[in-house]
Amino acid sequence: MKKILLACSAGMSTSLLVTRMQEEAESRGLEAEIWAVAQDKAPEDMKKADVLLIGPQMRFMKKKFSKVADEVGIPLDSIDPVAYGRVDGKAVLDKALELIDG
Amino acid sequence: MNKFMDMLENVLMPVADKLNNNRYLTALRNGFMVALPLIIFGSMFVVIANLPFLDELIGEEAFATYQDLLGPASASTLSIMGLFVIMGIGYKMVEQRGGESVYGAAVAVASFLILTPQVVEDTAGGIPTNVLGAEGMFLGIFTAFFAAEIYQAFVKRDLTIKMPAGVPDAVSRSFSALIPIALTLTIFLVVRIIFGFTPFETVQEFIYTIIQEPLTALGSGLPATLIAVLLIQVFWFFGLHGQIIVNSVFDPIWYALNDQNLSAYQAGEELPNIVTKQFIDTFIVGIGGSGMTLAVLIAILLVAKSRQLKEIGKIATPPGIFNVNEPVIFGLPIIMNPLVIIPWLLAPVVVAFVTYMFMSVGIVPRPAGIIVPWTTPVLLSGYMATGNQIMGAVMQLINMAIVFIIWLPFLKVMDRQYYDNEQSEK
Repeated sequence: MKKILLACSAGMSTSLLVTRMQEEAESRGLEAEIWAVAQDKAPEDMKKADVLLIGPQMRFMKKKFSKVADEVGIPLDSIDPVAYGRVDGKAVLDKALELIDG
Repeated sequence: MNKFMDMLENVLMPVADKLNNNRYLTALRNGFMVALPLIIFGSMFVVIANLPFLDELIGEEAFATYQDLLGPASASTLSIMGLFVIMGIGYKMVEQRGGESVYGAAVAVASFLILTPQVVEDTAGGIPTNVLGAEGMFLGIFTAFFAAEIYQAFVKRDLTIKMPAGVPDAVSRSFSALIPIALTLTIFLVVRIIFGFTPFETVQEFIYTIIQEPLTALGSGLPATLIAVLLIQVFWFFGLHGQIIVNSVFDPIWYALNDQNLSAYQAGEELPNIVTKQFIDTFIVGIGGSGMTLAVLIAILLVAKSRQLKEIGKIATPPGIFNVNEPVIFGLPIIMNPLVIIPWLLAPVVVAFVTYMFMSVGIVPRPAGIIVPWTTPVLLSGYMATGNQIMGAVMQLINMAIVFIIWLPFLKVMDRQYYDNEQSEK
């Protein structure tokens, strides 16, 4: 079970991506829990996640989230802007899995 | 061009980083988020209480009773939003420091109340609700910052009563907060007493006159508004969430202006401000998201020939109706795209200017202080924000037309380029 957390300002635009990623995971037969939250909820939810992906428009939060990520021991990165614009569930899922496998 | 962009990004990133990772601004932003559901609840009941034609339908008297019955909904939330913002800030400030956050909320509210006049029309024992709304907002914000910091400092110095082993955890926790809270509140009491000897008489009055009034006067003016709108666009051009960055500075001002309008609206008086939270959220950002991209999407749907733009139109229109526009911003793309920099920066500034003018001459009603959720689709949001006025929706239509016209020539050039590329690839 892979637990993938996405965060942006209100958890709205990342939730678009969540739907696409879930579809992609399902078609691969991959068991995954994928969800999106607003940035202020992210530190709390990171405890339950295997990886955190940040919307590119919030990439200035990366430093702050990194501290929490180090504490709970999960990897994080901001999402590639092109994949974000295309709402490319496949590319972002690949990225998440790559980060988890580190 | 590239060098210039790199240079700008090197300037903007640290600014975004500073503004967003600043502890106070983070607590402020998240504190407002605590208040937001209550603000929206209250706003919805202002809308329901002022449904159009209802007074003619059920008669003046029944309408007055109807309004009285619904009154407490907004009076207990929207009109005293400052209280919830203070609670939220106090909570978030202490949470950041890893303390017991609920005490942060309590100490912030209590400190604020200590500084608040406790006389209503010469009767002691009451707290005027207006100071819990917009008027007390700035004092509330500063008080919450200071109270939480002082409380946390006392906690850190371990000025707590240690309970012997065996005392239930909840009991010892309630005592552990006692000394820091008592010391913090005493400090605020002393401050209140000292201010009693000044010409301002209360700290409320002092902060209101020295800070809040000048700042809101500045923030309600056209120049500051145009600068804020432009800044939002500049940040977004570099793919940084401009609104969240600019709002963390402007929100207290915009909300205070908003509340002034709400009080006037509910009292049936003339609305004092044009620029308010809703001026920005409904008439500039609320048309498909920052940069009013719904109008851009309509242009794409109407004229685009290239596969790439058509695809964007398909992906981005459904979320765009609800003002979520990251697919346009990153997909068109708008970020770092020299082709669209002119319409991207220009359109919202023109729209802000035109809307301001229309409202100042009275063709379009001013925002009534009702906070509409930002995901409310265009036209409906304009109608609600102006207190159920059709002209509010008409203003949004005009704004969409402005954005459409400014963007069209640039979109056509872009479409041509994409189309030619696609043809040559074949």
